[in-house]
Amino acid sequence: MNARDSLKFTMIAKKHKNLETTLSSQYSCCQGSMQSISRAFSKLSVASYSKTLNAAVPCALIRSYATTSNRAPRHRLLDESNAADLSKVDPILDFSDNKPANLDQSKTFPFNRPPEVVLNTVTDNVDTPLDRLEQMRLLKKALVVKRVVNMNGKGKQPSMYALVVVGNGNGLAGYGEGKDEEASRAVRKATNRAIKNMRYFERYDERTLAMDVSHKFHATTIHLRSRPPGFGNRSNHYIHEICRCVGIHDLSGKVMGSRTPMNVIKATFEALQHQKFPEEIAQLRGKKLADVQHTYYGAQ
Amino acid sequence: MPRIYDLCARVQNGFRARLQSIAVPDTKMNLAVCNILYREGFVSAVARGNHMAPDATYTPTTTDNIATRRLWLTLKYKDNRPALNSLSVVSKPSKKVTFTVNQMKDLAAGRRAKFIKPLAPGEIAILNTNRGVLELEEALKQNVGGEIIARAS
Repeated sequence: MNARDSLKFTMIAKKHKNLETTLSSQYSCCQGSMQSISRAFSKLSVASYSKTLNAAVPCALIRSYATTSNRAPRHRLLDESNAADLSKVDPILDFSDNKPANLDQSKTFPFNRPPEVVLNTVTDNVDTPLDRLEQMRLLKKALVVKRVVNMNGKGKQPSMYALVVVGNGNGLAGYGEGKDEEASRAVRKATNRAIKNMRYFERYDERTLAMDVSHKFHATTIHLRSRPPGFGNRSNHYIHEICRCVGIHDLSGKVMGSRTPMNVIKATFEALQHQKFPEEIAQLRGKKLADVQHTYYGAQ
Repeated sequence: MPRIYDLCARVQNGFRARLQSIAVPDTKMNLAVCNILYREGFVSAVARGNHMAPDATYTPTTTDNIATRRLWLTLKYKDNRPALNSLSVVSKPSKKVTFTVNQMKDLAAGRRAKFIKPLAPGEIAILNTNRGVLELEEALKQNVGGEIIARAS
């Protein structure tokens, strides 16, 4: 037997209470052990530990190791024929150099969990070119959350309605409405729809409107006036929030007629959509356009 | 003879109905205002004609055909949006509005003058001066004040 075999050797040990350290006893103990392996370790002494040993006999430990002996099988189905063949594993060559940074396994063990059946889910898969990070960074504001009721033959069916305005503060903005039994789910539905409905609104100098706008939507008339830098947003609180999402910082606005929140928000979005721009007017009328503020007053 | 509001109504209605061309009464005032609209680019052509169509060849205005004389304006649109959205009167017989040059400068600068709203970007004011019917900018260049008859945007 060479040294290689000795390294592969799985120590044979037996737990016995009163055991004397003799070679003969060792032989007698290791019953059914692999003869070749035990012969290699014939010179070794496996110390035995016993509580009842005398002081004259040196105390020593019995260590129990994993064994492939037939005496104490590891598993009822595992025996010598079933045991893995470790003769092909080389201790130096079969262990690669590139060690992982940590011992964490890349694959988790497979588990069998019954699929969750959740009724009335709201999926967050929104069909937009924005990725998840960008969607998270959007400014979202639930401006209207109210309890609405549907009268049926069965009676009153209450549900929650939410209107959410979404924007990135730099021209992109949109609004969405959602209805659900729970307010939080309705707000989520509305947010997803708002993100889907986002569109780009042109601004002047990225802070205000190009021209004053007056727009009528149902019973709501909105007047939005362009203002110089540093003026601030001085308008109806719904218009204020929408302008914050769009990125309009200087505006003067007035809502005439009905001030229903839903309609004010829709009217504002329509007003921003139906803006006329000086460039378009100049192009249609065949005129040359010069921005006095930029050219002569040096505004950036 | 029709007042300025007649022309304003016809032109506005023509644009709203998306007509290709409209016929307005052929008067000196109407012709002057239409010329300004043409020069500003609200209207693509101004031509004399009769009540059926613009003149193919030059036809002098005589006492025989004066009743049928019309001014034909060819209207301008882009992407189904009209070039002219509103042509409204400013000075009315009940309340005449006459501006001095300084008041006209306020209007042009975006400030109100004499309860008249300031001009938005792309808006023009047509005024009747003793140098003729002029647009606000032209009148400022010539340093003349006058009666603001209409504003177009």
